[in-house]
Amino acid sequence: MTKFYIDGKEVTAHKGETILEVARREGIYIPTMCYISKVSPIASCRLCVVEVKGVDGFVLSCQTPPTEGIEVFTNSPELFQHRQNIMKLYNVNHPLECGVCDKSGECELQNKTLEFGVQSQEFSAKEQYRPIRNWGKIQYDPSLCIMCERCVSTCNEAIGDDAIELKFGGYSSEIVPKGSDVLECSECGECIAVCPVGALISTDFKYSSNAWELQQIPATCSHCSAGCNLFYEVKQESHFDNTPRIYRVKNDIEHVSLCGAGRFGFDFANSDTFGDFETAVSKLREAKTILFSSHITNEEIEILNQIAKTTGAKLVNPEARKFQQFLKAFATTSGETLYNGTLEDIENSNQIIVIGTKIATDNPAVRYAITRAYKKHRAYISYLHPVFDSTLQNTIKQFINYEVGTEEGVIALLADTLITNSNLDLDIGYLSGETNIGEEELETISKIGKRAKNRTLIVGSDLITHEKSENIAKYIGLIQKNSNVKVVIVPPDTNSLGVALFGNLADEVQAPTVGYNIEGDYTIASIGKCDFSVPALNQQEGTFVNIDKKVVKTNVAVPYRGKNLNDLANAILDNPKRWTIDYTSELFGVEFDELQDVEIVSKMYRVSGDVDEVEELPSFDGAVVYNSNPFLQFNPWTAKAIEEKPYLLGAKQFAIANKLSDGDMVRFEIDGEIFIREFKIDNSLKGVIALNPIFDKGLRSYKLLSKYRFQRVQIEKVKSNGRS
Amino acid sequence: MNKEVIKGSQNYIPVEIEDYPTTGWQKFKQVVRRSLGKELFVGLWVVLREMLKFNIHTVQYPEEVLPLPSRYRAVHKLLRLLESGNERCIGCGLCEKICIADCIRMETKEENGRKVVSEYSINLGRCIFCGYCAEVCPELAIVHGSRYENASEQRAHFVLKDDMLTPIDFLKEQKEFDGFGAVSPNADKLIKKTPLAY
Repeated sequence: MTKFYIDGKEVTAHKGETILEVARREGIYIPTMCYISKVSPIASCRLCVVEVKGVDGFVLSCQTPPTEGIEVFTNSPELFQHRQNIMKLYNVNHPLECGVCDKSGECELQNKTLEFGVQSQEFSAKEQYRPIRNWGKIQYDPSLCIMCERCVSTCNEAIGDDAIELKFGGYSSEIVPKGSDVLECSECGECIAVCPVGALISTDFKYSSNAWELQQIPATCSHCSAGCNLFYEVKQESHFDNTPRIYRVKNDIEHVSLCGAGRFGFDFANSDTFGDFETAVSKLREAKTILFSSHITNEEIEILNQIAKTTGAKLVNPEARKFQQFLKAFATTSGETLYNGTLEDIENSNQIIVIGTKIATDNPAVRYAITRAYKKHRAYISYLHPVFDSTLQNTIKQFINYEVGTEEGVIALLADTLITNSNLDLDIGYLSGETNIGEEELETISKIGKRAKNRTLIVGSDLITHEKSENIAKYIGLIQKNSNVKVVIVPPDTNSLGVALFGNLADEVQAPTVGYNIEGDYTIASIGKCDFSVPALNQQEGTFVNIDKKVVKTNVAVPYRGKNLNDLANAILDNPKRWTIDYTSELFGVEFDELQDVEIVSKMYRVSGDVDEVEELPSFDGAVVYNSNPFLQFNPWTAKAIEEKPYLLGAKQFAIANKLSDGDMVRFEIDGEIFIREFKIDNSLKGVIALNPIFDKGLRSYKLLSKYRFQRVQIEKVKSNGRS
Repeated sequence: MNKEVIKGSQNYIPVEIEDYPTTGWQKFKQVVRRSLGKELFVGLWVVLREMLKFNIHTVQYPEEVLPLPSRYRAVHKLLRLLESGNERCIGCGLCEKICIADCIRMETKEENGRKVVSEYSINLGRCIFCGYCAEVCPELAIVHGSRYENASEQRAHFVLKDDMLTPIDFLKEQKEFDGFGAVSPNADKLIKKTPLAY
């Protein structure tokens, strides 16, 4: 704790805080251009300079920690002049095209130019030829760029793609893709979001609207369990059509980093109104089983609970059921109903162990937290997975490639490593041999763990869907109970945690079934051709439970001209409710409009269970594919919003082993679902496991979500590529 | 009734007004005097005299139309660049933003890397002809024209882009607008040049 003064006000700085951070916390304004709190200070703009009594010259407040008793002044005529000159320099040859610039109206250069009263220009430099670069979804205009380097820092430190860099060259400096001519990244678009001027813009949005015409609707991203807060920006559909349409997605850059699916995959509102209301009601009444997916709000879960109670139907959600049972087994050994880690814990960790998930595509928010932990705390990250993920190679120190199907053995070994003085009775030699994890690798983990203050274990859906998931969960419970390792179990789908908490789920499926956003005998869905249409998640208000166990709200961005689940329920239930969100208070005891900062608190139990012995581990031979979507895809809704062709991706090794070549059409079957895919060799992959996307399979992809993600398949070549 | 001369700097002139009649008899007398007295014929005589002079000032609208001053604010026009014939409007949206009657709407899109205004409309039923749009326009693209006949059957009465834009074959007839929002005659003197390095 350091006591010092800013503009005469006494303030205290915590350890590691800079003058600027303290000033912001205390509500004292210091202008900045390049500073964003989620990355380390860039110090390129020099606007944040302050005066310190007794110190010659100016001090950069963004990267200077205060010393005891100093007196800082944030404003003086000299400082103003200095800042005004900086703004004049920024404006040298900056094209006067605010009239057509997408950023106009929310441009920090515009704002600061006005703030520092730049009325005339005294500086000049020779104009240069700077052509506009097109990087797919992103467009870069070097002549508008002010070289603040926010994008480079964000890409590197907050996202972890490290895809762009600064090409030094004095006045001709510009931002370029790292190491290649084309931009190869996860297309998160975070660089667009952080750009203070109109240099980096979204190609899709370009010139379609002025910033001030758009209405911001706060909502929660519905694509994965991270539940990121975002803003849907809405305006009329067209000149002659007043129906609102989402034009783009924005985020609070200081606190949230979105992924590409969240930022670009917003156009999934349902405009269909298939089906007849009376038929839908009678089908729901007659249904013995109501199947539903976890792409659902908590309120809708409660509605389904009540419908099921009234009609005597069973609720079935195989994927969330697996997760529910996983948590139940986890509770028997951990003594808590829920895992104890959050994204913030991951971010503040010194050691992170990721197991059973291709985290960069399964849950980008977790990946960003891992990246930040690495950048901020030099966290030692161990990534345990059978498939090598090259997108994480910048952050990951230790990549452990275990055998497919041996997750039970791996988690037993991990438990033994992470828990000090564990008295687990393990045949380490056998497990190590079967899982293909060397003892020295585990030793490294335990050695790093001894030094690490904060440790986190991230558990993915491979473990939840595993045949032996119950025992795996028990081992994870032991880790949470008996070690200082915080555990984060990544929920497999948007609101899996909500369903697991509030859904009265059953296992058996009895005909006739009604499916809600999943295939049933009678399908009610918010996408595609179905028996009865309901609004998509950006057309509904409600709540989700996200990975942090927080209850997050979402609002209506686009209206839906049809009936929703609440209307159907009102025809069945005895006490109808006007709105879906009338059920919020039944779940959380607070009205939807007042709901704020609600967190699901873990209940404590007596430890009742113990782990079973690890028996023989299975082995997977032959061609194995791993169900995993590309960066911009999660589910049928992202597939609707972002057009993308699915490829079966494999390494060269996979191609050789299965006698395939680039461009071949292949056919294979997983659990009754037939896939016909073009095979593509991906040089960033290693090993003999191919990646099989499932996002294009519509509602049928939900069947695969509850299955173990590695599958042995018979690959049949349908059509050869001409070259082979 | 106070018949004193009102003193003060403003020099009001008191007007002689008869007392109001109070009794029935007084009212009857006033009616007879006003309807049968010669005052009635004074007005008729003035009309007859002017008619016989054959020097009538009445404007024969709609055959005859008075010229309008250049600052008159009637239905808007969208101008083109005189040299190239391209539309002046760049789609900056300032007119839409400043409009206090909220009657302007535009739609923009990208075409060959440029921002293009695909639709532009003004609801004349709402427009109060304040001239802010013409004044704020950085390109002198939207100006006020002189068409003021906009009777309509409906309250909402829109002019679309095609109605306002100078037709390309009438480009030669397009006059530089010197009315509301136009460049002032001494604009050249007011400009402060930015240093350029070549």
